[in-house]
Amino acid sequence: MCENDKKVVTIPEVATIVEIKDEIQDVKTFYLKFDNPDIDKNFKIKSGQFVMLTVFGAGESAISLPPSPENDRFHLSVKRVGKVTDALHKLEVGDKVGIRGPFGNGFPFEELKGKNLIYVAGGIGLIPLRSSIVHALQHREDFGRIIVLLGARTPADLMYQYNIEEWLKIEGFECYVTVDQATPDWKGETGFVHYLIEKANVPVENSVAFVCGPPIMFNSVIGELMKRGMKDDAILSTLERHMKCGIGKCQHCSIGRTLVCTDGPVYSFKQIKTLGEQI
Amino acid sequence: MDYKSGVCTFCGTGCGNFLKVKDGAVHGVYSMRNHPVSRGRLCVRGWHIHELLMTDQRISSPMIRVDGSLKEVSYDEAVDFMFEKMSKYKEGAAKEVGFLASPRSSNEDIFLFTKLARTVFKTNNITLDSESGHRKSLDVLYKGTGMAGMTGSIAAVSKAKFILVVGSDVTKMNPIIGSEIHKAEMAGAKVVTISSRVSQIARLSTLHLQVNPGSKKVLLAALAKALVAEGHHDMEWLSKKTSGSKEFLESINSLNLTEAENLTGIAYNTIAAVAKDIAGSESAMAFWSTGISGLDQDTVSFIYNLFLLAGKIGGENCGMNPLTGIANLQGGYDMGAAPDLLTGFQSIDDASVVNKFKDAWGVDINSVPGRDIYNLLGDPASGLKALVVADHDEGIIRYKKEIEGLEFVAYIGTYLNPFMDIADVVIPVAGSIENDGTYTNTGRRVQLSRKRVDTFNNVYPGWKLYSSMAAKASMKWDYSSSEDVFKEIASLTPSYSGITYSKLEENFGIQWPCNDRFPAGCESLDAPMNGGVYNFAPVSSEFSVPAAKADYPILLITGQGQHFWHQNNIMKNTYIPRREYRATLLLYPNGYVEICKADADALKVRDKWTVKISSQHGSMNVDVKISEDVKKGTAYIPYFIREMITEFLMEHTQDLQRGEDAIIPIRIEGV
Amino acid sequence: MYLIEKSKVMTIADELAKEYELYGPVVDKAAGQVFFDRVEGSGDISLMAEIPALPPKATVFPQIESIMKYKYDRETKNAVIEPVFSEAKKALFGLRPCDLAGIICLDRFFIGQEFVDDVYLEHRKRMFIVTNTCVVPFKQCFCVCTDSGPDADEGYDLNLTEAGEFYLVESGSEKGAAMIEKLGLAKAGDEYRKIKKDVVDKSISLFEDLTTDNKAWISRVMNRITTGFIKDDVWEYVGKQCFECGACTFVCPSCSCFNIEDHNRFDKSTDRLRTWDSCSFEGYTNMAGDHNPRKPVEDRRNKRFFCKLSYSQSKKYLRPGCVGCGRCQWVCPGDIGLPNVVTYIRREITE
Repeated sequence: MCENDKKVVTIPEVATIVEIKDEIQDVKTFYLKFDNPDIDKNFKIKSGQFVMLTVFGAGESAISLPPSPENDRFHLSVKRVGKVTDALHKLEVGDKVGIRGPFGNGFPFEELKGKNLIYVAGGIGLIPLRSSIVHALQHREDFGRIIVLLGARTPADLMYQYNIEEWLKIEGFECYVTVDQATPDWKGETGFVHYLIEKANVPVENSVAFVCGPPIMFNSVIGELMKRGMKDDAILSTLERHMKCGIGKCQHCSIGRTLVCTDGPVYSFKQIKTLGEQI
Repeated sequence: MDYKSGVCTFCGTGCGNFLKVKDGAVHGVYSMRNHPVSRGRLCVRGWHIHELLMTDQRISSPMIRVDGSLKEVSYDEAVDFMFEKMSKYKEGAAKEVGFLASPRSSNEDIFLFTKLARTVFKTNNITLDSESGHRKSLDVLYKGTGMAGMTGSIAAVSKAKFILVVGSDVTKMNPIIGSEIHKAEMAGAKVVTISSRVSQIARLSTLHLQVNPGSKKVLLAALAKALVAEGHHDMEWLSKKTSGSKEFLESINSLNLTEAENLTGIAYNTIAAVAKDIAGSESAMAFWSTGISGLDQDTVSFIYNLFLLAGKIGGENCGMNPLTGIANLQGGYDMGAAPDLLTGFQSIDDASVVNKFKDAWGVDINSVPGRDIYNLLGDPASGLKALVVADHDEGIIRYKKEIEGLEFVAYIGTYLNPFMDIADVVIPVAGSIENDGTYTNTGRRVQLSRKRVDTFNNVYPGWKLYSSMAAKASMKWDYSSSEDVFKEIASLTPSYSGITYSKLEENFGIQWPCNDRFPAGCESLDAPMNGGVYNFAPVSSEFSVPAAKADYPILLITGQGQHFWHQNNIMKNTYIPRREYRATLLLYPNGYVEICKADADALKVRDKWTVKISSQHGSMNVDVKISEDVKKGTAYIPYFIREMITEFLMEHTQDLQRGEDAIIPIRIEGV
Repeated sequence: MYLIEKSKVMTIADELAKEYELYGPVVDKAAGQVFFDRVEGSGDISLMAEIPALPPKATVFPQIESIMKYKYDRETKNAVIEPVFSEAKKALFGLRPCDLAGIICLDRFFIGQEFVDDVYLEHRKRMFIVTNTCVVPFKQCFCVCTDSGPDADEGYDLNLTEAGEFYLVESGSEKGAAMIEKLGLAKAGDEYRKIKKDVVDKSISLFEDLTTDNKAWISRVMNRITTGFIKDDVWEYVGKQCFECGACTFVCPSCSCFNIEDHNRFDKSTDRLRTWDSCSFEGYTNMAGDHNPRKPVEDRRNKRFFCKLSYSQSKKYLRPGCVGCGRCQWVCPGDIGLPNVVTYIRREITE
């Protein structure tokens, strides 16, 4: 929950777009600043949470939060897929949007101290994981090995390339990148991302895996991890659903007996298996 | 109390509803428990009609096109502009001017629209819907029984013992009628669906005859022949009560029953069993859909003849039931929105009728029938120059180029519509709850919808608008309400003569004919309307079915399907029905073609992969949707949905004339 | 327990009308349908009319309402947001116990979970509820199977029970007690406790045998639904008959799913609307992109009955999700109202 306990969770706070960066095809990053200076100063998030973004005149969408909880500008990376995101992509610097949140349970960072962290991200699945990767790097000494395995269809589909370049240079931070279809000037690995698990010699003892990506990738990655002996409650993921309220009332996001907006979006694979419905 | 009774004006079922009206606006809708047709039910559209009625996506002011863009003007200026531009067609109006009426408008609005066309603009080129799908059914029923409308009654469906559904995705197009058929089935009726694709009504039927594409007519002919071959017909009844049976039997003589088995894919034993059921049941009804991609006239004639042969016309709980997809399609024909008809299906060829109208209207009218607008648009030599359109969606897709090429287009409507991009003058008219109006559902039930809120931005109600236009031509139309218009309609239309607004309000509407002979209206046909006998409809003896060709091995069928409904210009102003319409589109943004898994495997494609469809006339790319609703060798693409289909289907105008039985041989390739 | 003469019972409504907007059962004579709607005066209320077609949840959770207004001017980059909350004080007079059970479910859902829904709270905290015990069941009622009738035992401000020449009046809250005092009602003697019990028992005895037999079955079915031990073809049979109209959700007193849309007005401002929604619809779970996790209609039917009858939902509501009003049965174009589905599942269990 947000530290400054807002009394009314249904009314958005107005924020201004201060910078727009083009990422990959159809994805833009919007850097935002709240108009209200108190909110801007005290806006605290946890990795894995999301906000409800209002694009005036178009509607509201649930957008996952990529910034780290500390020392990082507030930004959202959004892909253009529907009515609201389409209207968002037409906005310019100086335009205003509305933000409600943050909502959701976030990754349980306090419980992970001392463990090895393994991140596996496919395509734009890197967006929600970025928050926790950057956060982990900011507290490097608290964790064991940190391994980041990134995959995308083609080199042009890799998110946050500027971040990845930095990560590849960091000592003691194992970062591997692969694409399904290489281009002539691609120098990294080729192949599906779950093959990197073997290559990186991913540890299973005292480790936690964060997996985020398209459903096909999900199954093969989890299969590979469990084959190596990883337990199902050590594998975490963030699930997505159509959301309208973000506060557990509209029920659009229900899966079996849980609501993704309040019980999730972070679930362990053990929980996912018992949800009772297709994810 | 805030809840006011009303009628749902989406599809031709005409369910009763209650609208919550508070502070001058609509805030909700509820179903009507005791309504004889809907009995407390509504479909997803009916449950969200309040979303449509509260939208602000309205034409708020009359506009004329100045230097390429539309400029807001007053009603006077807009009507003046229209008359000025159309003055040059005074001489040649019968060829050069066309009026495209809307099946969504109320009876009063359609009546005045046609009166305007005939008396002020002197043209009989009036059309109601594309391909006149419903007209064909009305012609067959009128010539056969004297009743130009459904001969059965929707309230009686649950009592019928045998129901035949030919084509038609009934549970999606007229859901509540589909529900009645389902309830009949649960009460023990035999329901048989004939279609090439498995639809929900097919799953709910007792028996689904999944015929080969394009062979519905052959199957119906085979049913008739089997009925006779097995001796289930009553020759005495036929010779006493019907005429033309001999000619009909001769027509089906040339059908070889073994060949019919091959063409339809249905075994003879099944055909014979169904024929026996139709003849032997206590009562039997047939349903088919009309309007866009309905059945062609020959097929409708076969359905009618089959049931007549079985002695099931005019009996209790029987009915020949064409289903209209839009609220007032039946009413539109009752109001004479056709080139050769006046109200109540009275023919313009009948001099006494023409004189009656001339006397009532005090002005000469042309008694030479006009031409169908789509006919005129499709004929480059027609000479059509000006078109006045009321609230229409379809023509804009099929004949967009031709309409853009006309000299003058006027658009009269309620909601924002793509026609506005082409129109030279746009004139707003009040919507359904902003003005009193009657609507006639597919079951001949005339129902009254009262004015419940003020008009949006003071737009004119229909009677006021059309009167002001007539006034420009120095004709005084003396109406101060929709009820005045209805009184005139009743005075000129024998089937409506006994109906008044107060009678409509006391009951849940009245089924026409309502006159001296039927003072409380007429539920079902029980004898030929004009005395005499039932006539068999003339049919062709051509029993061929389009076949796949070597290089076009798959047969493409089209249909209306889930929530797809007249390009959804109305749906787009709602929230939940629009979301449901888009639900499948979001999964297949490039449109989809349904093929079964066996075909997909043979083509080495998977679900959501893009494929290229090619036919003799053109090609397009769509995504694959694997579905076991179609058999091997058949492909299905929903028809007429702008976002889904590019110009591909439109090129096949010849094939699409066959309506629902349109078959296009195609080839599918992966890309 | 207090007494009021039958002829004077509407004075309670009159007294409430001084301070509240009055809602109660109203009969539309032309269509022969009972609504629970706002009235000008107590004379419009038919207290003993049958169960209203419209569930009174609409008073606290309207079919469509604006929860926020905003106006964003792109030229000046000025955004103005204004919350919209209901200020109306409403008195619901003559609520049936099943509908009250529905409102209690909504209370526990909207107010009693992690987040408090302010929009709902503003409607609810200004309400005064007077329930009316059902002395005779109506067609298709089965509240005895779901522990929600024929009399209410909690959640009301005042409870009325018709007994002979009197109405028994019970208070269930401070507001109710204050109203009784204001009206100066006579206290009822101890013998009236038994009289009330007799009235309720008689009402229970008038339910069709089929309904009371069903009581045991509903709890067995709840067990099966929670554990998921129901054959796929039951759901296929149910799903086949679903016309995806959403009616069952709209008429259900305890259903609360909603949709949010930004509705652009003619004057360039925008209303954020909250409207009823239903999990029966395919588009309900459809995500932008190309994934719909609950596409087949059988899955949606499964979800609905899981929501109504499973233990995990009951934990949220502290009572079964179904209140036994029977409305879903008569608005369904198919034949799959809750009682019928329970019957199908029961057939499967016994085979």
